[in-house]
Amino acid sequence: MGHGVELLAALNLRTLPEQLANGIFLGAIYALIALGYTMVYGILRLINFAHGEVYMLGAYVSLFASRMLGFGPTSNKTDSSVVNLLIMLTASMIVCACVGVIIERFAYRPMRAHSRIASLITAIGVSLLLQYGGALFLPSSPPPSINEKVIPPVYRESSRIVLQAPPAELQRDLDSTQTIYLDAKKKYDFYMSTHQGVGEFDLAPDGQALHDKYKASLAPFNAAQAKADERSVVITVRHADIIILVTSVVLMGVLTYLVMFTKSGRAMRAVSHDFDSAALMGVNVNNTITFTFVLGSALAGAGSMMQATLKGPPLTTFFGFTPGVKAFVAAVLGGIGNIPGAVLGGLLMGVAEDFVIWLGYSNYSDAIAFVILIIVLLFRPGGILGSSKVEKV
Amino acid sequence: MFWPKRIASIAIGIGACFLIQAVAGKMFDFYGLRLVALAGLYVTLAVSLNLINGITGQFSIGHAAFYQIGAYFTGYLSIHYFAAGAGKVGGPVVWLIAMMIVGALGATIAGFVVGLPSLRLRGDYLAIVTLGFGEILRIIVQNQEALGGAYAMKDIPTIQSLWLVWALAFLCIAVCRNLLKTARGLTFVAVREDEVASAAMGVDVTKVKITAFMVGSAFAGAAGALLAHYEGLITPQTFAMDVSFIILTMVVLGGTGSITGSVVAAIFLSYLPEYLRNLKAPDGGTLYVTGATCLQWMLTIFAAVVLIRWISRSLQFPLVQRLGLYAAAVVGALVIGKLLGFGVNLISGLAAIQIDAGQLRMAIFAVALISVMLIRPQGIFAHHELSLTWLRGLVSRKRPAEVSA
Repeated sequence: MGHGVELLAALNLRTLPEQLANGIFLGAIYALIALGYTMVYGILRLINFAHGEVYMLGAYVSLFASRMLGFGPTSNKTDSSVVNLLIMLTASMIVCACVGVIIERFAYRPMRAHSRIASLITAIGVSLLLQYGGALFLPSSPPPSINEKVIPPVYRESSRIVLQAPPAELQRDLDSTQTIYLDAKKKYDFYMSTHQGVGEFDLAPDGQALHDKYKASLAPFNAAQAKADERSVVITVRHADIIILVTSVVLMGVLTYLVMFTKSGRAMRAVSHDFDSAALMGVNVNNTITFTFVLGSALAGAGSMMQATLKGPPLTTFFGFTPGVKAFVAAVLGGIGNIPGAVLGGLLMGVAEDFVIWLGYSNYSDAIAFVILIIVLLFRPGGILGSSKVEKV
Repeated sequence: MFWPKRIASIAIGIGACFLIQAVAGKMFDFYGLRLVALAGLYVTLAVSLNLINGITGQFSIGHAAFYQIGAYFTGYLSIHYFAAGAGKVGGPVVWLIAMMIVGALGATIAGFVVGLPSLRLRGDYLAIVTLGFGEILRIIVQNQEALGGAYAMKDIPTIQSLWLVWALAFLCIAVCRNLLKTARGLTFVAVREDEVASAAMGVDVTKVKITAFMVGSAFAGAAGALLAHYEGLITPQTFAMDVSFIILTMVVLGGTGSITGSVVAAIFLSYLPEYLRNLKAPDGGTLYVTGATCLQWMLTIFAAVVLIRWISRSLQFPLVQRLGLYAAAVVGALVIGKLLGFGVNLISGLAAIQIDAGQLRMAIFAVALISVMLIRPQGIFAHHELSLTWLRGLVSRKRPAEVSA
């Protein structure tokens, strides 16, 4: 018990909103992947194990696309723009859609006549093939990590959103120290820019004075900042995260339109509702399933492009497995086969994972997905938005 | 005349274990002996997973978790109590047997816990829960300093007893075989075939499922104890998810429900990576294959699978002619692969990729898994046992019976 109390005391509840925001940013990617799982499961009753690997391939596609655009390991090009990112996003989505369709056509369609377990084993096989077979051909942790060059600098900055301002006197202290600090920094930077080739440790006396002043002004500013932070609630968000969230929301909007208001979408919903009856009613089931795989895989491609480019974790062919499993859990959590459920589940997964890290158990952040999964399956197998059905003979 | 036969078969089994130890000891060096031991462990793991997966039909893909429990539990006990306890019980081998029992008990409890969800879940959901259980366990072990953390549990007293490894394998085979021969075993098969119907016929589905999980995991736990004491060093990576998938591949390849199939597949697949690793280039160095060759072989296998599927689906012939056609399909696929090879070689860069042949292991497993599923989803032996009766029936049969999946 003592441990738990200490743990709670050590938590800084003022960082809660920021953690919540981080969790939602993380969850947006999970939601994108989860949509692919949930749509395929809704139609084929198949856990598409290879979906995580499609996601992984999307990251590699954006890597190669960035190299083709001139941001390879040897180039010095740094003037990137949004256009480059959009090209990478499109390339990743298109290639992933193709890969998804190929997997469906050659691995899942022949298995449709057999038991679900046979399909599942095939899916595991495809997943293993893409992981280990891909490792033979694709570079592991290739330099540079994509985000070093291709992201416009403004994406790397962050903004502070103040939810609760600090008390007035602390704010005044902060402002005054900040003015002094910024002033000293500006003068010092100007000095450094006019004296090219001079390092920090071999300064002339006048430069040294500016340097000392700059360093001396930093400490009070940091102290004031820390004091103010203790009494205020601030959310620091990276611009890249906002881009991820906005793009995800736009893509989900497009998906909702496609599923709810187009003919193909209606066919999808019909097949998902009752496979055989839909076929009898003249729905082209094969085309509909292909369409589902196109949509799901393209969303995974978009997610992986954003994850690989804007966050930049090390890229290996096993890159997709953990996010894939977490996204699957998200789909189950929201109610598998349910599109809004996948989004809700993804966001909840992201927040849950972030909270585990916040509590100081970052080593266990991968386990939380499975814990949630087991709890959900045991107590509410249908998920939050789904309905649990009893299997009939 | 029941007991003499049984006692004789037990004696033959134990004799075979010592025979394996004697023959292997003469023929192989340390490295070869380790392979024989690992093959025995994989036989145990595959057959015990077959009990859960193939015979009872509960799709579990987290078998490495039970293996891990057995290994870590007994490894920990041995590190701390071997010095004090081994003398008292009468030698290291007796201690090892005790550890196997303890490991089996530990894994049985875990098997009970994992078996519980199987009461409510079926098929793919159960699969992912077992997978998740394995991962949770691995992550927990990784974060325990007392168990060696993420690196390794070192200094486990090494007790290498080859006959004991194979005795466990034989015991596992015997238990599963005898189970299948008895009326009790029929309830397991009934649950696999139709859960609802068997419950209606009075089978205690709950008991059957839990029993299958507990027995299967007990053998995996005992195998883990043997592994820990054979190697003297275990890491969380020894029990990573791909080990579960390897065991699953063995069961699926051999035929779900076929014990002999699991045994053959386990021996073959546990030897395959070593075979690949030992492949040498003509000059004696490590053998490298080019990316183009890999792609060419993938296309060849793909062509073979497509042709064989087409033959088995659309043409009905007696077995001998069918086998001839299959052979022709394989030859045809080789020719197609050769022709495509010229095209593949034109792709720039692919021919330049050098791949160490030893790294192909998991990719080959994956290709084997997919190919078997596409050609023969019920596995090579399906649910038959490799026996003279079956082979004779196979040859004399006019038309192949349709096996519903």
